[in-house]
Amino acid sequence: MNDDENKKNSYNVVPGEPVGVIAAQSLGEPSTQMMLRVFHSAGIGSIITTRGIPRVMELVDARKTPSSPSTTIRFNEAIKKDYEQVRKIWKSLEEITLMYVIKDFEENFRAGTLTFILDKEKLEYYELTPKKIFTKISKMESLEASTEGEYKFIIKYRGKGKTIYNMRVAFNRLLSSVLFGVPGIKKATIHQDEKDKSFYIITAGSNLEELMKIEGVDKWNIYCNDPFEVLEHYGIEATRNIIANELIDIIEEEGLTVNFRHIGLIVDTMSHSGKIKGVGRHGIAGEKESVFARAAYEETVKHFINACVFGEKDFLKGVAENILLGKQVNVGTGIVTIGIKNEDLKKIKPVEIEQGKKKEE
Amino acid sequence: MSNKEKCLIFLDGRIIGSVEDGKSFVEEVKKNRRLGILPGEINVIYIKKLNEVHINADRGRARKPYIIVENGKSKLTPELKQKLKNNEIDFNYLLRRGIIEYLDAEEEENIFAALDEDSITENTTHLEIDPVAMFGFTFNTMIFQDFNQSGRYALSANFTKQAQGLYVTNFNKRYDTRAFLLYYPQIPLVNSIAYRSLKMEKHASGQNFIVAISTYYGFNMKDALILNRAAVDRGLGRSIFYKTYSNEERRYAGRQQDKFIIPPATSENYLGEHMYTKLGEDGIVEPEVDVKEGEVIVGKISPPRFLEEQTTFGIGAERMRDNSMTLKTGEEGVVDNVMISEVTGATKIVKIRIRGNKIPEVGDKFGSRNFQKGVVTLIVPPEEMPFTKDGIVPDMLLTPLSLPSRMTFGYILEMLTAKAAALDGKIMDGTMFSKKGKERIDECGTILEQHGFEKFGNEELYDGRTGNAYKSQIFTGIAYFNRLYHMVSTKLQVRSRGPVQILTRQPTEGKQKKGGIRFEEMGRDALVGYGASMVLKDRLLEQSDKAENIWVCKDCGDIGYYDYVKNVAVCPMCSGNNLEKLEISYAFKLLLDEIKSMHIFPRIKLKSE
Repeated sequence: MNDDENKKNSYNVVPGEPVGVIAAQSLGEPSTQMMLRVFHSAGIGSIITTRGIPRVMELVDARKTPSSPSTTIRFNEAIKKDYEQVRKIWKSLEEITLMYVIKDFEENFRAGTLTFILDKEKLEYYELTPKKIFTKISKMESLEASTEGEYKFIIKYRGKGKTIYNMRVAFNRLLSSVLFGVPGIKKATIHQDEKDKSFYIITAGSNLEELMKIEGVDKWNIYCNDPFEVLEHYGIEATRNIIANELIDIIEEEGLTVNFRHIGLIVDTMSHSGKIKGVGRHGIAGEKESVFARAAYEETVKHFINACVFGEKDFLKGVAENILLGKQVNVGTGIVTIGIKNEDLKKIKPVEIEQGKKKEE
Repeated sequence: MSNKEKCLIFLDGRIIGSVEDGKSFVEEVKKNRRLGILPGEINVIYIKKLNEVHINADRGRARKPYIIVENGKSKLTPELKQKLKNNEIDFNYLLRRGIIEYLDAEEEENIFAALDEDSITENTTHLEIDPVAMFGFTFNTMIFQDFNQSGRYALSANFTKQAQGLYVTNFNKRYDTRAFLLYYPQIPLVNSIAYRSLKMEKHASGQNFIVAISTYYGFNMKDALILNRAAVDRGLGRSIFYKTYSNEERRYAGRQQDKFIIPPATSENYLGEHMYTKLGEDGIVEPEVDVKEGEVIVGKISPPRFLEEQTTFGIGAERMRDNSMTLKTGEEGVVDNVMISEVTGATKIVKIRIRGNKIPEVGDKFGSRNFQKGVVTLIVPPEEMPFTKDGIVPDMLLTPLSLPSRMTFGYILEMLTAKAAALDGKIMDGTMFSKKGKERIDECGTILEQHGFEKFGNEELYDGRTGNAYKSQIFTGIAYFNRLYHMVSTKLQVRSRGPVQILTRQPTEGKQKKGGIRFEEMGRDALVGYGASMVLKDRLLEQSDKAENIWVCKDCGDIGYYDYVKNVAVCPMCSGNNLEKLEISYAFKLLLDEIKSMHIFPRIKLKSE
């Protein structure tokens, strides 16, 4: 064996190595150094994203609604480097609610009316007309719209139960209805890649389903940081990569490094069943085989009662339950056992070696 | 907000009216206040941003006096100063005449105060009476605050609290639960105006150490300190430790009560005759007797805890219980004094003050006035310490690396000034802002040079081990050190065998109970991660709550016991005798018992290998 091969072999995981514990420590130690803060990138028009420990917790716990979803949209070869084309798409992305194009509004709960005046300049910017808005509004349930002049709208509540609560719910739904753009996209900014000078868009908020439909968007190069959204449209392998990528990004942002093997093990464990499971008691930790291991972690009484009801057996194969019993743990040096059975040992007969005989052989 | 709007006036937070021009209104109020037409207790401020006038006259505002400056000139003229010196006028005179006024936190917002008379400009409105007045008394008892990092003083205040010293002068008559007393407290060679005016020199809490900023074979790395054995033997940092034990004769129902007495051999829990040898006739230890841990200092008998059982001969003679008081673990000393008294209800109480010596040893903590703390790592014999050309051996060696990162320049300045003070035989002043840095160094330099020393305090030191001179000159000086009450002798804890808890059979916790140091969860994870399963078993089973004789029924899986009369193991569940001996942690057996109490029956199934 030469030196290189020697070195390579020394990195191999040996039987009994507790890789899970080492992975947990390798991710846990740097996170004690990370700053507990929400990161704000400087500059106008940039998108504020959750970073640091809160983001790591979000990913590892597999929370259904991330606090700051974001999507990076890249474009087809044809329009990739055409700023005007990209800008055209960008303009159609950000969601515009009715509230955003209103100059002034007034609620009258006695009469059950909502009066608002549209902002002319904003309408022009988003290429909207009062007519378009009127057709959109008139579809709304339990509301009756009428105009007074070109820009003044009067909405009357026609629903059941003319309480202030019901009216406010209906008016709020109207004001927050999306007139224009992709629903769920709160903000979008155009960026330029420094390497190949192509343009791409980063959005706050995500809606992969709608974004993929837009013409010119490169479906195979879209990046969304919401694992569940990716899981729905691209499958579990992509989701695993997304979680791993996000974790590496956060750790490296703080100037720390963690070997990919550790992160890989964590994300593989989270996703190997085809669904994403968090590491907490509702995920991986709650699905341990051993009753004692689960009971030692959280909700002790619940696990014992369930074990009693279903007559569970504990085969004492894991680490936590063996520590509880005071047995040797089945990792590291504890994994080594004698291979010969006890009864076979008795079969071995002691050989009497005479000095002269041994020499002959 | 437009200028046309009226300016609102708030008196103690309530609107009382409005004016057109708030700023001139405030000026008018101030003018009248200084003339004495309005009371001096009110403070008034114009807030430009809100266009509001706030007048405060309520209770509980912290206020501070300032000298008024008008047209770039202090109102406290040299003539007035001279009159003050001659005691012709007093502070109240200046207050009445509008020369000094009190400002509260809100009015201070809009002033432009100068630190001293030289820095008064055209815009200056007020002048500090003295820079010292910027801070409180606690802060001002320190020295050279203007040369140190400000944050260190918040921490430095803790040291003053923890320092051993002459905390009271009637310590002889007091019975404090815990008290430390320095053998030879000294007044610092450099102190401040607040230190003197608070008369803190009467309660000094430290000593002036001769220090050299030098390394010593790596023994004072990080914040470690090296002490001179000769200095320690002469009483440097030596202190007395007082601890008071108290006990009382309690009364119980049924006309029964405790009694201080040498317990008779018939009493319950009798400890044996030899344990009561140090007690006097009255059952209380005599003064000036050496006592060690576990020894009886108060003999006491108490009535039985429960009523005596009835015998066939009626109620038997009362058997009293021995309830003597012993010295706690890890404590020893001499009985300093005994006080016997009575409290209301005529129960007898006794207080015993134990005195112990605390000589500085390796592991004790010292701290200076500049938040430089350290732990003694080595006490060096005087012949092995470095010495100067005059034969002076430093009491303490400090590591040079403690200075640059902490930026405590006041520390160096203190050493230099104290050195000059020691040579001159005078206590010097270190009040902040009283002199400029260069002035101080020049002043100390001339004194040092007069006495034949190098002017910056550097000296040539010789290595005590080899006798050779060090290659570079080493800064030596005098620094005031506090001995802090964190000492190893009160904290050291070690165990190989010892008591266990009754419930879990795990080792006890805490020094008083001879406990072990906890092998905690993260340490456990580290051993699992390393794969050291044997070490893990040793820590969590062998050295903890190993139970060797747990019998488990092979038929039903319940835990049984061994009947030593019939010499057979018995299962209480199925009354069988088919049991196997196991070696498990007692905590697990306890867990199984507790699960049983939840009406869940855990069965242990054994598999032979």
